[in-house]
Amino acid sequence: MRRDPCQFGGAIGLALALAVLPQAAQAHSAESLAGGFMAGFAHPLSGPDHLLAMVSVGLWGAFLGRPLIAALPVIFPAVMALGALLAMLGVPQPPIELGVALSVLVLGAAIAAAWRAPVWLACAIVAFFAVFHGFAHGTEIPSLADPIAYSTGFMLATGSLHLAGIGLGTINTLRGGTVITRAIGTVIALAGLYFLGLALLQ
Amino acid sequence: MRGGSLPPALLSAALGLALAYAPPRARYAGVLVLWIGAPLAALIGLAPHWEEAVFLACWAGVILAAVSVHVPRGLRARAAIVLALIVAGLAGAVTATAGSGSALLLALPWVLVTIPAAWLIAHGRGIAVKVVSSWLIAIALLSAALPLSPTPGYEPDHLE
Repeated sequence: MRRDPCQFGGAIGLALALAVLPQAAQAHSAESLAGGFMAGFAHPLSGPDHLLAMVSVGLWGAFLGRPLIAALPVIFPAVMALGALLAMLGVPQPPIELGVALSVLVLGAAIAAAWRAPVWLACAIVAFFAVFHGFAHGTEIPSLADPIAYSTGFMLATGSLHLAGIGLGTINTLRGGTVITRAIGTVIALAGLYFLGLALLQ
Repeated sequence: MRGGSLPPALLSAALGLALAYAPPRARYAGVLVLWIGAPLAALIGLAPHWEEAVFLACWAGVILAAVSVHVPRGLRARAAIVLALIVAGLAGAVTATAGSGSALLLALPWVLVTIPAAWLIAHGRGIAVKVVSSWLIAIALLSAALPLSPTPGYEPDHLE
């Protein structure tokens, strides 16, 4: 059964409300330093590979409907935080760029193929890739001027991108929307292929 | 730096999301408990060596409050008040160690996120609240892990 992703309009409102949260922290001088809330918020938006992966998580979740429309955006940040924790603990780094590029390719391909993965498998795929994204950022966070504000901004931007993907999934409910969604998935997968090529050439 | 209004604001927001699932009376009582309890707790003097423990407890409090949105049929009234007391104590303690009165004043209104959250739940969109609470859990996990790093950003470095 396909679920109307429009339900998540409210979530976007709530996300925006929470996004204003760090106004309080901006009273601090360290907020003006690199590594504050705005730097964290801008970070996922500045890398096209990360950005496309986050949007894909939401879009695939919207495509798959309940319970994954909610489960995927809940699982991703939690596992991403665990990945960051592993990085902070000095656990040997996996091939991050390769993992991030693969996440774009696989998630885009899943949308393009209209793959209705079983719940456990979709959760496992998203969790697996979340570790790479967490690792990528966990190495940066500790030495920043205001790591808590940075983490807050980073997580809110990540979540907002998931919600943007879910919002994009509303197309799916329109007539012929599945074709458009799959076309978007194809473009994302092609971009993933490009990122993968870059990662392999490095 | 890691003090200021952000830690108590995250506590307040997490409590607000949790209270959204509680009965309305408990919700209002929880907000009052936070608004009265946190400033009182902030008056308690804490020695600087308590800072690490207080911050760890603060992030545990954020996780506890954010996770409680997953309690089946929501928090019961008594549990909501107990949670509000815990959060108030932690918000006050974290302010006492690394914050200020004005920072707490800016942080406490974030519990009012309970109003839009309760509206979403009432309109069958509670999933959105659970998604947002997962962000708070992730932020708290990351923040709790920072002291494990050899170079946490809030510590003075060789340039300072």
